[in-house]
Amino acid sequence: MSNVVTRDAAIPLSPEQAGAIGRLLVAAIHAIDDGRFEDWPPLFTEKCLYRILTRTDHQAGRQFGVWFCDTRAMLEDRVSSIRSVNVFEPHVYRHVLGPTEITGLLDGVYSAQTNYMLVRTMYDGDMTLFSAGRYLDEIVIESGRAALRSRTVVTDSVRYDTMVALPI
Amino acid sequence: MSQAVGTRPIRQMLAWPKEGITRVPLHVFSDPDIYKWEQDLIFRGPTWSFLCLESEIANPGDYITTKVGDTSVIAIRTPEGGVNALVNKCVHKGSILCYDPAGHRKHHDLVCPYHNWVYDLEGKLNAIAFERGIQKKGGMPEDFRKEEHRLKRLRVETISGLVFASFSPAAPPLAEYLGPVMVQHMTRTLHGKPKILGRYSQVMQNNWKLYVENSRDNYHPSLLHAFFSTFKLNRLSAEGGTLQDELSRHHITFTKRHTDAGDAFYDTGMLRAMKTDYGLKDPSLIDQWMEYEDQITNSIQSIFPGFVLQQILNSIGTRQVIPLGANKCELVWTLLGFEEDTEEQTYVRMKQSNLVGPGGLVSMEDGAIGSFVEKGIRGDLDGVAVIEMGGKGVGGMATRATETSVRGFWKFYRELLDV
Repeated sequence: MSNVVTRDAAIPLSPEQAGAIGRLLVAAIHAIDDGRFEDWPPLFTEKCLYRILTRTDHQAGRQFGVWFCDTRAMLEDRVSSIRSVNVFEPHVYRHVLGPTEITGLLDGVYSAQTNYMLVRTMYDGDMTLFSAGRYLDEIVIESGRAALRSRTVVTDSVRYDTMVALPI
Repeated sequence: MSQAVGTRPIRQMLAWPKEGITRVPLHVFSDPDIYKWEQDLIFRGPTWSFLCLESEIANPGDYITTKVGDTSVIAIRTPEGGVNALVNKCVHKGSILCYDPAGHRKHHDLVCPYHNWVYDLEGKLNAIAFERGIQKKGGMPEDFRKEEHRLKRLRVETISGLVFASFSPAAPPLAEYLGPVMVQHMTRTLHGKPKILGRYSQVMQNNWKLYVENSRDNYHPSLLHAFFSTFKLNRLSAEGGTLQDELSRHHITFTKRHTDAGDAFYDTGMLRAMKTDYGLKDPSLIDQWMEYEDQITNSIQSIFPGFVLQQILNSIGTRQVIPLGANKCELVWTLLGFEEDTEEQTYVRMKQSNLVGPGGLVSMEDGAIGSFVEKGIRGDLDGVAVIEMGGKGVGGMATRATETSVRGFWKFYRELLDV
C-alpha cells in the first residue's frame, strides 16, 4: 500500500510515479536522521527552494523564517557548515511522516503535502518533541526519479528550542 | 504588584564581590528568588522595555500582546492615534483579557472573556455584566465603585517606529534613558518605514542575563562563531569598536568595511563576492549592498534590559529577550525590511536571513552557549565569573577585544538591585 495518495481522483498518478515520490520523501528524512547529510542536497533540483518558517508567518504570506536556501549549492554550504563550522552539542533527529497527499499537478510539477513529527535526541539522552508541522513540496519526476523543486517546512510552533542546526 | 513578596531582602541573598563589576556571582543566573526581585526592580523598575513595532498596530483598535518580564502586556492603538500599554489582567479574577498574539478591537474596548468586564483603551472599567443583577436579584453591592478599579497602565514612548514601555514613573523619558548615541544609531539603522519579513522565537535553556551578556560581549564572536572566518569572509570588514551611552547602560558594537574590499566587486551597487575567493559553493548568500553611508557592515545594539537591534550586512532585525523563569528565556526575533525596499533588496535580506536566528550560520551558537554556561555552573554556584577583558572599567573603546559593555550591564544591574 502506498503512502502517496492524490487529493482527488482527477489528478493522474501512476503507481510508478507514486513510488518515485514515496521514495523521495523517505530518502529526504532518512538522509537527515541517519546523519548522511551529504545525501540530502542531491534530492533537490539545482535551482530549488528550501525554507523553514512558522505557521503564523506562512499564513501571513511571509516568505521566510529560520532557513532560506534557493540553490542546491546553498544546501551543500549548509551541510559543510554543519560538518565543520558550527558549534553545538551532538544531537540526532528522528522524523515520522504521515501519508503524502498530492494536491495538484501543473506543468509536470506535483504539489504535495506531508505531515511530520520530529523528535530530537541529545547526546546525553535528553529527548524532546522538537517540531511538528507539514512539508509543502513541489516535486518533479525525470527519468523515473523524483526530485524536490521546492520544500517549504511549515512549523506549527513559533518557538524553536536552542537552535535549528540540522534541516527539518 | 510584586513578585518578590515573601522572599528575603535582595541584599541578604546577593552579596557582590569586593572586586565590583569585574566579578559576577554565578548564582545570579539560577536563583529563583533573585529572579523575582529582578522582575520588581528591573522589568518593573525605572527601565524601558520594547513592546512591538508601531506598524504592527497601525489602525485604531489594533493590538498585540507581549510580555515585559513575566507580565503580560497589551499594546493597543487608540482612536487618537497614540499607543497605550496596559497590563493584560482583569481586575476581577485576574484572567488575561486578550489571549492571542495580535488582533483588532472594533469597538475600541477590552472585554474579559470570563465575566465580560469591559474596559476602555485607557484601562478604565466601563461596565460589568449583571452589575445590577438579574431581575433585581444578585449584582454588585451598592458601594462598589467601578472607578476604583482599573487596568494598570504603563508609560509608552516610541522611537524610529519602535514602541517602548515602562512601569515606573521614575524612569527618565525614553530619549534620555537611551542617550543621544543610542538614539542616533537607532534612527540610523531604521532609516525607512519598517515592515516585518519574518518572526520566530528562540528558546534558550539559560537565564535571561546570559543572553544579554552575550549580546554585549564583543570578545566572543570571532572565537565562537567560525562561519565568517572559515569561509574567508572577514576581509570585507576590519575596523570596529564599541560605543556606549554616557552611563554605560547600553551598548553598540560595530564593524566597518575595509576600504579595500578584497576581491569582491561592485555590480549595480551590489557588493558581490567572487566564487573563486570563498569556500562557499554559493557565495550569493553574502551578496550585499552598502546600505549605510557610515560604511558599517555589522552592528549589534543592546539596550538595557532586554532589547537588541541588529544589522548583519543587510539583515535588519529586532530581538526581544523575555525571561521564562530562572533557567530559561526566549528571544523573539523580528526580521525587518523597509517599505521603500526594492524587490532585489528584499531578496538580499531574505538570503541573509540564513546568517541569523536559531538556524543562523553565524549566530546559531548563541542559542547553545548559554546552556553550556548553565550546565557548567549548575554544580558550582559559589564561584564568580571573571570579566576583565579590556580592563576593569566601562565606557566605549575603539576595539572589540573588550568586555566593557558586559561590565556596563552589571553596573546598572547593581544600581537597580542596590547590591
